[in-house]
Amino acid sequence: MKSLRRDLSANPQAANVTSKVFVRSTKSGKVQKIVRELYLREDIPCSSKLCSQCPTIAPADANGKIAPFILSDRPAGTTAFPRGHYIVPDTNALLNGMDLFEHTGAFYDVIVLQTVLEELRNRSIPLYNRLLALVKSDEKRFYLFFNEFRRETHVRRGPEETINDRNDRAVRMVATWYSSHLQQSAKKGKKEKAIPAIVVITDDKENLRKCKEENVAALSLSDYVSGLEGSEMLLDMISESKDARDAKETTRGEFFYPEYFTMSKLTTGLRAGTLHQGVFNVSPYNYLEASVKTAAFDKPLLILGRDNSNRAIAGDSVVVEVLPQDQWKSPSTKIVDEEAVTRNDNPDTEETDAVVTDRERKALQEEVKKAHGKNSDGKPQPTAKVVGVIKRSWRQYVGHVDSNSTGSQASGRRQQNVFLLPMDKRIPKIRVRTRQASDILGQRILVTIDSWDRDSRYPTGHFIRSLGELETKGAETEALLLEYDVQYKPFPKSVLDCLPSEGHNWKVPVSKEDKGWTGRKDLRDLLICSIDPPGCQDIDDALHARLLPNGNFEVGVHIADVSHFVKPNNPMDLEASIRGTTVYLVDKRIDMLPHLLGTDICSLKPYVERYAFSVQWEMTPDAEIVSSNFSKSVIRSREAFSYEQAQLRIDDKSQQDELTESMRTLLKFSKVLRQKRMDAGALNLASPEVRIESEGDEVGDPLTDVKTKAMLDTNSLVEEFMLLANITVASKVYESFPQTALLRRHATPPPQNFEDLQKQLSKKRDMELDVSSSRALADSLDRCIDPKNPFFNTLVRILATRCMTSAEYFCAGAFGESEFRHYGLASPIYTHFTSPIRRYADLMVHRQLASAIGYEGEDGHAVIEGVSTRNKLEDICRNINVRHRNAQHAGRASIEYYVGQALKARGEKMAADGVDAGIEEEGYVMRVFENGVVIFVPRFGIEGVVRLEDFVLPGESGARSVAERRELAPHRTTEFDSEEYTLCVEEKGHPEKERSVTVELFQKVRVNVSSVKEEGRGAGKRRVRILVTEA
Amino acid sequence: MSNQRQASSASQVPHLSPAELSYLYTSLSLPKNPIRPDGRSPTQFRPLSAETTILPGANGSARIGFADGTQAIVGVKAEVEKTVIAADTLDSRSLAQHGDALNREGEEGSAAVSGQGEWVQMSIEIPGFRDDDALPVFLSEMMRESLVGSVSGGSGDSKEMAGGLKGRLVINKRWHWRLYIDVLLLSQPLAYPLPLLSLTTHLALLSTKLPKLKSTGEEDPFFDDDWAAAEYLYPRSNTSKSPLSAAPSYPVRPPVTLLVISVGENVIFDPNREEIAVADAVLAISVTRSSDSETLKLLSIRSIDPPSRLTQPGIPNSENVNMLGATAGPGEESGGQEEVEGVWRPRRGGVKRNVIARMIKNVLGKGGVGEEVLEGLEGVVVQ
Repeated sequence: MKSLRRDLSANPQAANVTSKVFVRSTKSGKVQKIVRELYLREDIPCSSKLCSQCPTIAPADANGKIAPFILSDRPAGTTAFPRGHYIVPDTNALLNGMDLFEHTGAFYDVIVLQTVLEELRNRSIPLYNRLLALVKSDEKRFYLFFNEFRRETHVRRGPEETINDRNDRAVRMVATWYSSHLQQSAKKGKKEKAIPAIVVITDDKENLRKCKEENVAALSLSDYVSGLEGSEMLLDMISESKDARDAKETTRGEFFYPEYFTMSKLTTGLRAGTLHQGVFNVSPYNYLEASVKTAAFDKPLLILGRDNSNRAIAGDSVVVEVLPQDQWKSPSTKIVDEEAVTRNDNPDTEETDAVVTDRERKALQEEVKKAHGKNSDGKPQPTAKVVGVIKRSWRQYVGHVDSNSTGSQASGRRQQNVFLLPMDKRIPKIRVRTRQASDILGQRILVTIDSWDRDSRYPTGHFIRSLGELETKGAETEALLLEYDVQYKPFPKSVLDCLPSEGHNWKVPVSKEDKGWTGRKDLRDLLICSIDPPGCQDIDDALHARLLPNGNFEVGVHIADVSHFVKPNNPMDLEASIRGTTVYLVDKRIDMLPHLLGTDICSLKPYVERYAFSVQWEMTPDAEIVSSNFSKSVIRSREAFSYEQAQLRIDDKSQQDELTESMRTLLKFSKVLRQKRMDAGALNLASPEVRIESEGDEVGDPLTDVKTKAMLDTNSLVEEFMLLANITVASKVYESFPQTALLRRHATPPPQNFEDLQKQLSKKRDMELDVSSSRALADSLDRCIDPKNPFFNTLVRILATRCMTSAEYFCAGAFGESEFRHYGLASPIYTHFTSPIRRYADLMVHRQLASAIGYEGEDGHAVIEGVSTRNKLEDICRNINVRHRNAQHAGRASIEYYVGQALKARGEKMAADGVDAGIEEEGYVMRVFENGVVIFVPRFGIEGVVRLEDFVLPGESGARSVAERRELAPHRTTEFDSEEYTLCVEEKGHPEKERSVTVELFQKVRVNVSSVKEEGRGAGKRRVRILVTEA
Repeated sequence: MSNQRQASSASQVPHLSPAELSYLYTSLSLPKNPIRPDGRSPTQFRPLSAETTILPGANGSARIGFADGTQAIVGVKAEVEKTVIAADTLDSRSLAQHGDALNREGEEGSAAVSGQGEWVQMSIEIPGFRDDDALPVFLSEMMRESLVGSVSGGSGDSKEMAGGLKGRLVINKRWHWRLYIDVLLLSQPLAYPLPLLSLTTHLALLSTKLPKLKSTGEEDPFFDDDWAAAEYLYPRSNTSKSPLSAAPSYPVRPPVTLLVISVGENVIFDPNREEIAVADAVLAISVTRSSDSETLKLLSIRSIDPPSRLTQPGIPNSENVNMLGATAGPGEESGGQEEVEGVWRPRRGGVKRNVIARMIKNVLGKGGVGEEVLEGLEGVVVQ
């Protein structure tokens, strides 16, 4: 039989078309062969300013402009490449050294290949995003070269060629092409002297060899960096490469940790329901204990011990397998700190014993004993072990080098392993290889985790940079911002370009014909004032009230019209949406919007005209709302009060002017509104908040600066009207945008969250906590009163608050209407509208409300802008929820740091006088462990762990140094009653009652608060030491 | 109706006069060396041009065109599917229903799950026919049947092909591939399209690849996303022999259905439309090569009515073979049946046993037509 094949090789067009074929497995289980056709072109520029050809052929955009060329005509040279060089990194180089590429001291003029970018995206999304950010920023001159689309540099995969080899070949091909291309096309006159070398950076040995064969200049990342200035610091920034790890693996075949399941085994298990996925949460009190909340179970699964947590790090998304019932245990009742247990580990040598050291095992053992106790509280709980990690949420960690781990011979530039103790207690120590151990000792440093292999007890990471000396204000503030992922860099130029050109001279247009007045109501003659904390610059809100002719009242809330100045999707809007919220630290404010807007143009300052978004109600004298009305407006605030000033003015009977009268009306209404809210079941919750009022940069006296937040009537006045405005706006936007309204909800907490607290209350105080509804909870909280202990009620409220879920922003389409409820406020619907200067959510709601009322904007096409698609909104919600939480944590951490510093300053002052006695205060026992208690000190709003040695037993002098006290610990024994929540501390061999201290839950104790220097994790943070002096 | 009946027979009747038909018949039935209208030898195939992997989006594809302009394209798509009746999840109802199948599995004694014939779906599209017309349905069933029926002996080197194509489609107990074979005839069917479609399908299947499985055992399947790593549905032997060597590079091959006619004592392969018109018998013979034997294996024989068995236009009922029972009594001879020289009359009666035996032997024999065809097709794929 004769058969013929058609031959296509003669087709001249064939070279221009090629295709990319791959297999795509979809979530629904489909497996598809995907073919993408590639049409190769010749007009993709090399983007070198040296080139004379490419500017003529480069494609122009719609405006006829060619993208500016990026690569410098005078690239930096090194000793190896004195005539300058362009860098072409391959994927591994980027994976191992992204921090280097971001470094401002080197790595300029980099050609990023499309091939490499795509490969990087498959390997690591975070690194991919970082590389994209580099490409987008102008400073570092990174050029993204679409080599796969350019005919000369496109590489067809050969038969039997692996993808890796093909991509390596593509990198070499680009290097070759660039060299010859620049030779040909370099502008005349420069030809001989300054054709930069094209340097491939790759850590792949095979690729290096082939580069040499093909005459392409190539270096490994570390070789390249060695040739740069300051290479020691730079070399530390390279991740430990895969090769080195592989080499290690072959030499030592021992594994500490079990292997993870394969991806397919994980997905099979997850689908079949035998495995469970959740986020790995490490207990703040015990680093060996973690919990994973899974969809399948009401209560989180416990994960105990290092081998069960199997290299998971707090925040990772993990897959767990439930352990057999005989291995179930109860959660620990003990405080276990990593550095206390593993103090003597040597970072250079892995001990040969198993991953769980004897000491660790002992610590666990005691917990298991507890688990078998008769107590119902200590009933064994299901435990699980980690069998796989779906997504690592490794970030950069701030910490300091463990001084015990540096070699004694700190001399020289020898590379050595050190342990880094992260500030976050839930993160294990990180082994870091460094050549500058002696330099970074005693500094706050930033590191990142590269890997955690089975043969290493601790994760391995690399140094990124030093933030400065421990305990210096700059370093500690930056550490805090980094730890809570707060974007604190100054606003880039592209953002500042979006500000009104008039700057501080911006004014509301005088002429009402001006387009700025389109759609705005003139409310300048209303008697509006603002009430804020003292010294407030970003005034979001202002109020007014007046009597209407019909006997009803008109009440107005006026909010800064930020959305007028921040147009959707411009760089300023994007930046604000990333920042999400303004972060308030004790001595610093990290703004969401540039200064000019926040504190001047938008801020509803007194005596000047400002744009506002007004919500006005007509209310009967009984505060029943007759109607509400929303409008963009122009207002002129008559006065900016602080809470105290406003209170004084209201209370001052001699003041009878209209403004004061309107404030009195507002106050009267606010009380009615508050009562209504309380009747509906709103919770009066408490969180241990204090305010720091310090002047200047100086650290003042902790006793005078730290103030618990005073609640004046005027505070509640503003609060009530803001709540009302938020609720009113929420219903309006939901009515207009049932799918995309941005709302805020506070889910009803599941009753089991309160179980522990309920048990504790009934045991210790014989009190009931009814959690069947928010109303019931509010009422039962009101009944939790200890006549002898006025703070007890607040303490219970603090504890109850911790049992609840946190409120969250959401997009209306994501939940059923019944789920919209705000539990704490007992409102069926809620949103944030009143602080657009400092919260992005409010800004979004402003836009939505503007669309809802048909406000067309200055130029008449703003109508649609407020309404976003649901997907996009959900992304925004997710981000601002995280930002919001981080901002809160950062604020609290800042206060804690400040209190520590203030105590330290005081301690030093006192020490100069001869006595460092600390401060005697009242404290309350919040939690009882087997070897310590957690005490809350309301005066400073801090809580701290009190260990055995910090109990001052009767007949013993209180003041002893930290070291001396630590000596005490081994001599103490405890009797812990987990049912009664009591802990009795006594000295060994002195069983007599008068030599012991017994503390119990909720007990009021006298404590001595001072700030001590600690070598452990808290170093620099000035752990606040609490001594229990009197039970 | 009449169109349909014609369709299900070998071909439309060519517009030839009885005299022409008679001439053709005489030439074809010349003892020993028949003379075919296009001068071919009895076992010679029409030259064809073929290529594979012409549809980038399909798992496998092929195109074959004959010089007369008839062309067919076949695309093969594979999809992962959950196996509904897994032995361990059977409830009592389906147990009763599928008890037989289960028993048979037990008899085979293999631990692996056996595949199911319905996992291979075939649809044929022929211009001018609806997809539920008799011809496409009949053709597709005829080809599918031999495809899923071709269970190889399953010993030796080709472990993957144990259980034949059906077995190959099993991923694990809970998952399998489903194969969609779409056959498209691009031209009007000038001759009976079965050989063309069968050859094209054969080529397409040979070029079909399935993504490489990365997961193991009873896990949910998880595949390598590199298409270059995909594996052939019909595995090729690993030892890369030179293409010239006679050893087949496929241990197992999909079946091929050949059309064979007999005219008088002669056996003629790859008949064209005119030749079919005067054929005494038309057989569709499916053969395949299995791994364990050197020779080809016969899968099925189906006889197809040649047009000569149909009623010729203008034949009075009294002379219509099909109407014999209706008009005249059975066994009654109708008149006017004496042979007239130069005027062709359809043959009546059966085909002789030894003719059929020869037809089969010509296909299966060593160095026979079957091997020749398979080798010729192999030359297209293996390059």
